Amino acid sequence: MKIKTISFFIILSLNIVNAESSSVEISSILKNLRCLICQGQSVADSNSEFAQTIKLVVKDQIDKGRSEKEIYNFLIDKYGEWIVYKPPLNRVNFLLWIIPYLVLVAGGVIIFLLFKKRVNHR
Amino acid sequence: MLSNTGNILLLTNIFLGIFIIYFSFQNLKDNKAFISKKIYQLCLLQSTIIIISFLTLIIAFVISDFSIVTVYQNSHSLKPFFYKVSGSWGNHEGSLLLWIIILTIFSFFFLLYNKDHPKNYRIYTLIIQNILILGFLSFLFFNSNPFSLILPIPKEGLGLNPILQDPALAIHPPLLYIGFVGASIYFSAAMASLLVDYSGKRFAQSIKNWVLFSWSFQTLGILAGSIWAYYELGWGGFWFWDPVENASLLPWFAMTALLHSLIVLEKRNLLYFWVIILCLLTFILSVTGTFLVRSGILNSVHTFASDPTRGVYILMFLSLMIFFSVMLLFNKFKSRNYVLNSNSKETFILINNWFMIFYLITVLLGTIYPIFTEVLTNHKVSVGPPFYNAVIIPIVGLFLFFMSTGPRVKWIKNNFYNLNLLLKILLGSILINFFITYVFDSYSLISNFIIISALFLIISSSIDLYQLFTIRKLNLSRVVSHLAFGFLILFIGLNYNFSLEKDFNLKLGEQRIFKDYSLEFKDLQLQDFKNYKAVIGEFKIKNKTNNLEDTLYPEIRIYMKPSTITYEASIKTSLLKDYYITMSNIDRSDYYNIKFQKKPFMIWIWISVIFISIGGFLSLFKNEKKNY
Repeated sequence: MKIKTISFFIILSLNIVNAESSSVEISSILKNLRCLICQGQSVADSNSEFAQTIKLVVKDQIDKGRSEKEIYNFLIDKYGEWIVYKPPLNRVNFLLWIIPYLVLVAGGVIIFLLFKKRVNHR
Repeated sequence: MLSNTGNILLLTNIFLGIFIIYFSFQNLKDNKAFISKKIYQLCLLQSTIIIISFLTLIIAFVISDFSIVTVYQNSHSLKPFFYKVSGSWGNHEGSLLLWIIILTIFSFFFLLYNKDHPKNYRIYTLIIQNILILGFLSFLFFNSNPFSLILPIPKEGLGLNPILQDPALAIHPPLLYIGFVGASIYFSAAMASLLVDYSGKRFAQSIKNWVLFSWSFQTLGILAGSIWAYYELGWGGFWFWDPVENASLLPWFAMTALLHSLIVLEKRNLLYFWVIILCLLTFILSVTGTFLVRSGILNSVHTFASDPTRGVYILMFLSLMIFFSVMLLFNKFKSRNYVLNSNSKETFILINNWFMIFYLITVLLGTIYPIFTEVLTNHKVSVGPPFYNAVIIPIVGLFLFFMSTGPRVKWIKNNFYNLNLLLKILLGSILINFFITYVFDSYSLISNFIIISALFLIISSSIDLYQLFTIRKLNLSRVVSHLAFGFLILFIGLNYNFSLEKDFNLKLGEQRIFKDYSLEFKDLQLQDFKNYKAVIGEFKIKNKTNNLEDTLYPEIRIYMKPSTITYEASIKTSLLKDYYITMSNIDRSDYYNIKFQKKPFMIWIWISVIFISIGGFLSLFKNEKKNY
């Protein structure tokens, strides 16, 4: 009974659909782009001319109907991977994405092995 | 004059360090069970002199003695008194001096407060700490001397970078340094413990308060930095996963892991080598962070004092530290049989460590990965907020769940597991989350997950808090910190998810209407201040649902010394939300670029963090009371 109630609420809370989330949000894209001429600022936060240009480019791309991913790829082709704050998963960045999860799994295994010893001692 | 005084004091301190090491070795040889008075006196003298040399620097800043390079480069006679004082540690040389003060004072107090521990352990700790002091002192003296002279003497200073002229930043370095430089003392103690085989419960007791103390301050230090970023950098966020911010977070993860596993060492005499590794790691990460920040190797919004030659020295020092600690660890390492039960407090503490190490590795990797790709493949990548959000956030929920259940589990073996209660808490969390989503009228899967797990932690910690007053057997400090952490994640989740952000161009007199708000650009004024001119805008924000009005005054400041333009955000804080407006001019037009943000529950994020560290201080007081 309890599980039924819980799953009911989970499904209920998952089902609320918001119309805004489906459209491409320009501000969230701009936050994920580095202002290349600034000291560690995103395009969204910068007032520099470079940032203004990129803002226009992104706006233009959205008007053309491009998806978020297409826009990132377009900018990477033009400016290199340095412009996006989320490095794409490729040969160079492979380790960056995989090591944290390896550590997570390894940690779990180590803790699990510590229990195993206990069983052997019995 | 001040320059000579300062230099003599620093030189005296270098000799004092050498004397202390020499007499400590002498003292080890004799058979007496106590440490000779001479060493106490030397340590007291060492602390006194380093403080006097710092006061000398502060005086040089206050009287604007521009014959000293540091003062010339970072001060100006028109600067307000408060920032003259704080400016003395707002630069590379001064902050390094502050760093050494903390090394020295901690060294003295550790000697003073551990009289019931064996002599050789205390002496070795003192020796290693003094080697650290000497290393940093000679770096300060030969490479980054705060008392260097400049000729001819300039009439006026260059001034302090205006965005560093902020109260939060004035207290940020001292707090943070007590945190991660304080970690040096348990680095030294861990090395000493390995050298003299002083392990187990007693060792844990000797460093416990120091870990708590530095952890609490580190937490506050990170908070001050974050508040500063929110107020000064003008983008409305408080954490950008910037390399410099990460550098302060890395030791915090290690410290937090240490804080927890130290309890296991104290209560059950387990995990000794793991505790040692964490002790060493914490300070090594602190120095690594300093290296990354000061060498200017990373592109950061917070880099103000970078210089490659400094980098080389810190890197050498860091390598030596890592080399010796790893070597010693390998020499002394003995494999021990741990007996653990899967349902015991020990296990849950290990799970805490497991997650802390995961966060640590993720953040460390994200911070230094760009260096490697650039050096090895000539490929520049940026690792920023979206990476950390993608990797860390999904794991936070699970972590919070363990954090809620863990503390209630008993030592050695827990028989009873109240599944029913857990289900009820989960149900409650989901209900509240449902309510929140309904009120804010917005939805995203991942943040719902975070909010639910944060609520889970809050509810179960609250139950603990309630039981604390009825049964009085639980640990108040733990409950406070955990509860506050739950609230922190909750408010970050709410803040992140339900912020409102608008970016538009406005002319004087214009009005913009969006969602339930209207924003009016009412006035624009030019004003002269002591050390800057400001263009001040007046904006009226009106909430149409409840007809409340607020007026905000963002500024564009033009500083004369050094000539800089800064954009000052105007922030209206209230219990439920912050309004945040920045304004910047657009070249060759009458329009101004306006960024408006509504950030819900901003102040509660700060308050939560304060309570996390209060938990640490409470525990500290409790331990002190037990001792006397």
